[in-house]
Amino acid sequence: MKTGWVVIGLLAVMTAVEFAIAVMAKDSLLLALLLIIALAKGWLIIQYFMHFGQLWEHVSDAWYGMLNDDPAADSDED
Amino acid sequence: MTQHVPNVNHRFNSLTINRLGLWLFLVSDASFFIALITSRFFVEGTSRPDHVNQALGLGLTVLLLLSSLTAYRAEAAAEHGDRKQAQKMLLATIAMGVIFIVGVAFEWYEALQHFPPSTGFGTILFTLTGVHVTHVATGVLALGFVYFQVRRSESDADSQWAVEGAVKWWHFVDVAWVFIYPTLYLVG
Repeated sequence: MKTGWVVIGLLAVMTAVEFAIAVMAKDSLLLALLLIIALAKGWLIIQYFMHFGQLWEHVSDAWYGMLNDDPAADSDED
Repeated sequence: MTQHVPNVNHRFNSLTINRLGLWLFLVSDASFFIALITSRFFVEGTSRPDHVNQALGLGLTVLLLLSSLTAYRAEAAAEHGDRKQAQKMLLATIAMGVIFIVGVAFEWYEALQHFPPSTGFGTILFTLTGVHVTHVATGVLALGFVYFQVRRSESDADSQWAVEGAVKWWHFVDVAWVFIYPTLYLVG
């Protein structure tokens, strides 16, 4: 639960900074800064709210499952 | 006649398949948003009309970020078997989603007067927000479906994947907006 509040706090701060930058910066500097902040905000949501780290566990589970799929054993069972 | 039934390891279960499938779908859907966001710079460069409603854009952003927190808490509550809290947080998320849709409708009402779809910026704004709000609407529907499933289910395991899947979709919608907001409201 605490993670959620920390992440939303960081997102709020970044949104405020993003807005302030849009008022102050211009042209390519503005574009670069906005892109960096959007990437950071997106990463926070994907990493902590969407549990991106667990994706590798799912991939390894799927890989492990495929490697251990033994059709011969199934035929024996039949 | 024998029928081949794969000897699938217990770690390689349907939940793993569901999760991987959802991630693959999200990645493919993200490419659609990337193409649309890129087209903004292709069509309009970095210019922005004066009449873009900055306050509304910021308000919609704050609303969607807050809804991601309630969605996250709904998932956490469902994981811990706290179905009452999960229902409460799902309802809060749905409510914020509905307010977001109303906000976009207001944005369109204003946009029609200042930059209709026949203009370059109007084309980009209506396309981007239109595609995004469709995603929000499907998210609201999915969360509503999941809400009733949590209410009716007899065990936590019955509804856990449903909550996880719908909430992941909602976070994806939020991530998409994180990039759409500066593209439409701040650049220029």
